[in-house]
Amino acid sequence: MESVSKGIEKLGAAGLVLEAILVSLLGIFLLIGFIVLRRWYRGRYFQKRNQRTVALRSQWNEILSGEILAEDWRFDALDCDIVESILLDSIETSPADELPALQDCLRVSGLLDMRIYEARTSRGLKQRTALLALGRTRAMEAIPALASGLDSHLRETRIAAVRGLGRTARMEAAIPILDRIVTGQFDAPERSLKNALVNCCRSYPEVLVNYVEQTQGPVRELLARVLGELASPELGEELLVLASDVLPEVRASAARALGNTNSSYTLPALHTLAADPEWFVRLRAVVALGQIENIGKIRILLRSVCDANRHVRQRAAWALARMEPQLDQILEDVVATKDDYALQAFVSELERSGAMEKIVSGFTGAGHHSAETALIEVVAEARKRVELSGKAVAASAGSL
Amino acid sequence: MHFLAISNDTLFIYYALSNVIYLGLLIVAIVKNVRHRHRLGSQRLELVKASPFTPPITLIVPAHNEERSIVGSVGALLGLEYPCLEVIVVNDGSDDATMEKLRQAYQLQTARILYIADIATAPLHAIYRSRLDPRLFVLDKEAAGCKADAINAGINAATSPYICVVDADSILEKESLIRIMAGVFADPGRVVAVGGIVRVLNGSRVVNNQIEEVRLPKSPIEVMQVIEYLRAFLVGREAWAGFNMLPIISGAFGVFQRDLVLQVGGFRTHAVGEDLDLVIRMHRRLRENHRAYHIDFIPDPTCWTEVPNDLKSLARQRARWHKGLIDTLWPNRDMLFRARYGRVGWLILPYMWIFEFFAPIIEVVGYTTIILAVISGVLSKSFFLQFLLFGYAFATLISIGSVLLEEMTFRRYSDWREVARLLIYCLFEHFPYRQLTMVWRLQGIWQYLRGDLQWRSMKRVGISTDPVA
Repeated sequence: MESVSKGIEKLGAAGLVLEAILVSLLGIFLLIGFIVLRRWYRGRYFQKRNQRTVALRSQWNEILSGEILAEDWRFDALDCDIVESILLDSIETSPADELPALQDCLRVSGLLDMRIYEARTSRGLKQRTALLALGRTRAMEAIPALASGLDSHLRETRIAAVRGLGRTARMEAAIPILDRIVTGQFDAPERSLKNALVNCCRSYPEVLVNYVEQTQGPVRELLARVLGELASPELGEELLVLASDVLPEVRASAARALGNTNSSYTLPALHTLAADPEWFVRLRAVVALGQIENIGKIRILLRSVCDANRHVRQRAAWALARMEPQLDQILEDVVATKDDYALQAFVSELERSGAMEKIVSGFTGAGHHSAETALIEVVAEARKRVELSGKAVAASAGSL
Repeated sequence: MHFLAISNDTLFIYYALSNVIYLGLLIVAIVKNVRHRHRLGSQRLELVKASPFTPPITLIVPAHNEERSIVGSVGALLGLEYPCLEVIVVNDGSDDATMEKLRQAYQLQTARILYIADIATAPLHAIYRSRLDPRLFVLDKEAAGCKADAINAGINAATSPYICVVDADSILEKESLIRIMAGVFADPGRVVAVGGIVRVLNGSRVVNNQIEEVRLPKSPIEVMQVIEYLRAFLVGREAWAGFNMLPIISGAFGVFQRDLVLQVGGFRTHAVGEDLDLVIRMHRRLRENHRAYHIDFIPDPTCWTEVPNDLKSLARQRARWHKGLIDTLWPNRDMLFRARYGRVGWLILPYMWIFEFFAPIIEVVGYTTIILAVISGVLSKSFFLQFLLFGYAFATLISIGSVLLEEMTFRRYSDWREVARLLIYCLFEHFPYRQLTMVWRLQGIWQYLRGDLQWRSMKRVGISTDPVA
């Protein structure tokens, strides 16, 4: 059999390899050229842009009020881009009372219509850029154009439409998304959907409740997660329905939502959820308990600090260790559980929160020396048991 | 003669295939990086920072004789923007003043924490907590002669569901932790580990343990490493992660699910390349359990690390890396071409055997036989020269492609003179630097075969507040 190199040589005196060399060298020069040109172009572009930005900023009030006509800057691509950037950035950061003036400027200058037109008729990157820009305008009339982007056959365009709708932060923008995802056929990343819905439904999370009730499976879980982020006391007993849902993810979201409320039903509901068969539901309930201000939660957290799951134990200990005025009593209660792991979690959290020193000095000062000694003995005994079982090496240093 | 012809053919095919694969990876990486860059524009990190549900994370910092940089590094880590952070420094039997410096700088006091060794490690002397910052813990332990043991001690003491291992001589950017965790938040059910990019710190100006000005190092040997790191991270890791075949998350900066690390028995003690070893074992376990998972790479969270600035240290590092490679590939050879390990067993592991482990051997044998073939007339001189030139030109093209990728995305080297230097050094990366690394990697193979698995120390300058000369 003939060798490859001979074969190549035969094909034309190594011409093929020579061509490959030339192509590679050409590639090198092209890449270097591209990098150099790109640098040069960007340098010039940003210099020019800076100059124009300063000029337009100095006339900003006149541009915004219409004293300087839109025709003066609208048909220069760079000026138009700068004004639009400033307007969109201002819309994101300005107080609500300044918003109408900024949006009016977008309307009067035709920028809004231009973006709507691009979102509907362009394709690829231009369409996606237009969709995101439309979202940033927060204008009502942008919503239909954004919604049409949701029906694109391109996933990237659908994602841009979802993100655009999210950026409007208007409840009305959530409806097109919700209408599509309840069918179960809408394909977009969960994170994008979640972020968009969180932004849109923040002021009126009640809109989600109906959709949660209509859906099943993963979509229901997703909506429940959003609801969990946004739930407010106004949701009331709707949350109790979700807290008893058959899907653990929904119950976990209900637990999360309950952390934002502090009604009469909050503590009993979290009490139930903290004993849920699923560990992550219990974890969410314990985290939520850590958020609410209610002394009654100590009882539930003392049970959770003895949980079989390490994450639940740690989070319960974390919450308990931050209940400053009651720490002495809580410490005694944890010792009384005779649960070595609970004690370990709690003592460790006390150390982490920096409260251990205060407690020890508090014990000594108040003449509770025996409680501290008892605690030391219990921990030492636990350590011995762990060592004897051969499972672990104890390294509890210091006075314990 | 027949042998020489076969050898030449093999080398030719090997070179062509290697370059074609890397070209493919470069194209995939460009598409992924540019798309990621666009998405970064609308990332809202403040929402993650404010949420009480952001999962806690434990930073584990193994430290062995790090007196020069430990205080600065820990300071920078405590200053990271993350809502629920715990930093565990593991002093791994340092002979120098590492422990003393920590004790003084952070007012350490003995902490009463029960430590359960889920993973067996060398004995601990004590656990300390900082009076100044209760998030900082220091484990003082006996040296076990390996970094993995120190990390395992940190994992035992960690309380968070996620751990992040960071080298003591490295600097993380303020938002790097929250950015790397964005990869986890994207799909917490599937994403079990995420790697960030490691960049070369040498030459840059550091103020208050943060990068103030990114600059290229002065010495050629360091600049070469900048190009290597760009290619390895922005091209290799980005592309492999896209296919869920990422074989390594750098020991200098990576986030892992703590429970999964415990399930695979932690970092393998005395593994030479403990980071590579862990990720391969994670792939193994997850595939054996038929779990849907993703081990990801995110190119924007950045860790700056000091690289060797002299040939001797660099030679040691590269020999060690190669020992680490074989030390991982050999115990996992049963994963090769087995259906249960899917693309990991069929693609990435064979790739690593052929194009990483055997590369120096094939190159040396190839160079030798090709010269013999030219001398004996099996191969024409002109073809020999053309072949060498082609190999050089194509590999240089890939290196310049990596610089282009950096230019199109993150542009950390803003001064055009720095970019010009990078481009010029690309021309020298494949001759003579590549041949040098080939020799060092062969040394690594030789040391491994002799059973020499020692960790040889590297000369370090340490993190300085002035530009590194």
